[in-house]
Amino acid sequence: MTSNDNDYLTIALPKGKLFSLSAKLLVRVGYTAEDLSDKSRKLIITNEEKKIRFIVSKTSDVPTYVEYGAADIGIIGKDVLLEANKEVYEMLDLGFGKCHLMMAVPKAEKREKLTDYDHTRVATKYPHIAEQFFGQRGMQMEYIKLNGSIELGPIVGLSESIVDIVETGTTLRENDLEEIVHIVDASARLIVNRVSFKLKFDRIHELVEDLRRVLNRGEE
Amino acid sequence: MENETLVLDIPYGMRDFLPKEAAGKRAVETELASLFSAWGYDEVVTPTIEYLDNLTLGAKGALEPHLFKLFDRNNRTLALRHEMTTPIARLAASRLRDYPMPLKLSYISSVFRYEQAQRGRQCEFHQAGVELMGSTSTASDAEIIALAVEGLRQVGLKDFQVSIGQVDFVSGIMEQYHLDKETKSKLKTALEVRNLVEAEQIVDGLAITKQAKTILKRLPLLNGGEEMLRKSYAFALNEQSRRALDNLGEIYRLLKAYGIAQYVRFDLGIIRDFGYYTGMVFEIYASGLGFPLAGGGRYDHLLSDFGNACPATGVALGIERVLLALSRQACVHPVHAEGVYLAYAHGFLDAAIELAQKLRSEGKTVEIALSVLDEQSADDLRRQKGYGKFLYLS
Repeated sequence: MTSNDNDYLTIALPKGKLFSLSAKLLVRVGYTAEDLSDKSRKLIITNEEKKIRFIVSKTSDVPTYVEYGAADIGIIGKDVLLEANKEVYEMLDLGFGKCHLMMAVPKAEKREKLTDYDHTRVATKYPHIAEQFFGQRGMQMEYIKLNGSIELGPIVGLSESIVDIVETGTTLRENDLEEIVHIVDASARLIVNRVSFKLKFDRIHELVEDLRRVLNRGEE
Repeated sequence: MENETLVLDIPYGMRDFLPKEAAGKRAVETELASLFSAWGYDEVVTPTIEYLDNLTLGAKGALEPHLFKLFDRNNRTLALRHEMTTPIARLAASRLRDYPMPLKLSYISSVFRYEQAQRGRQCEFHQAGVELMGSTSTASDAEIIALAVEGLRQVGLKDFQVSIGQVDFVSGIMEQYHLDKETKSKLKTALEVRNLVEAEQIVDGLAITKQAKTILKRLPLLNGGEEMLRKSYAFALNEQSRRALDNLGEIYRLLKAYGIAQYVRFDLGIIRDFGYYTGMVFEIYASGLGFPLAGGGRYDHLLSDFGNACPATGVALGIERVLLALSRQACVHPVHAEGVYLAYAHGFLDAAIELAQKLRSEGKTVEIALSVLDEQSADDLRRQKGYGKFLYLS
């Protein structure tokens, strides 16, 4: 199966935090399916009546499904999108999943300027974004890719700093870390495959406009 | 992991075409070559390696990281061609400058781009295309689009769509609101990758009227048929953007005359990423393929970069992508279906050769067994090789 089936609109949703918020938003514009849950064992959930298919996938795979056209549409955090650097159309800021990417260091070992960290080690789940950020400031860093619990890096002496997403800052405080640079804001985005955008324009456009209206109306 | 058998690998992004794949590629190329020639386009062949400076004339900076580069013995930087339009523009502006205009040239070539390999595009891939130089008429733009559509129809693709846009429409609209150079370039980049979120942020930060903001934000969503084109005149407040719409309307009228208007839609956002386009631009998409199959447009300034101003328009079709779309839409030509496998008993080789020659002269594909085989094992071999017919002389 691919989004090849012209009658269907295939939507890729990420497991985890964004899933329920995405599903809730889509329901408000009439896009849903029976058993739509990220705990479902089914990989593809179809709504035959409305000709919609949902793929529930690992967060970082959503941009890939959409880039290749295996899904027409996806919902994904801007942080993942920036890191993946895929050729997809970014249609809408959905407003939820707000967070920002930043650099943090242990409070006790804070240095005076950002450039004092040149040639040090930084632990991150976002090596591409980090490299671009430091590169633009003429800094060369050693990037240590971690897949979770990034804040552990400086504590166990793996790195001098971290680059990670922050929502409330609680985790940072609990681990005696302090944000020293704000890198970029992020929130959930609606992304669309380049070819689907052209071949299924009317349907996708209608969905985008409906979502926009719902978002402007705010929470009911 | 230990290698059980030795597989000699090839460089990243390169591929081998095995017999069936090569046959499919050849079939598509042959079809396109005869079509190009039937429409009056003469084939040219340009070198695989050019001077780096000559390839990057039209689009500096962004291009260089994607080129395969090497040095000649005098340390001049060379590069493998990344597309065919620039080399042909070089040819037209130099060695072909005294030929009668308009020049109609075609090519079928491999091109090289260093980028992330994905289905339908390796670092080395194949393109078939045409360039029409020396004419500013809408007839030439319409001919290029019609030829591309006809090509896809002839290779057997059923389901595809052409999206046509106009570079001057977006430029004209930006001009009518007097956007400064930096804003224009930022907004163009955002529109090109259809990052609507960023485009809206840029527009919201501008000191222009609310109505102007609404129009700028609608640009990437102006997608539709003839009706949408007519309505878009409401946004075109200056000569440049109006003329762009007139131009598209005229091209559409000609495409109707070609009988292919049903494949065409308009997309007034920015379609192509090459910096050298100056007028009509288009891309062709097929369902089941996440990438465009073909693309092209008008590039009136590229030749003047080579010192010989001349308007031009052209199209390139990606052969691998066309093949992929054909297989996704299940319209592949069978290979060897009508072929004959000819085997023989002891003493019948001479007769077999004579028969094979006769069948071949009638246009059939014939493979002769190269040694004496019994009938059963010859038939097994025939099936393995995929021949439809079996002859046994005894």
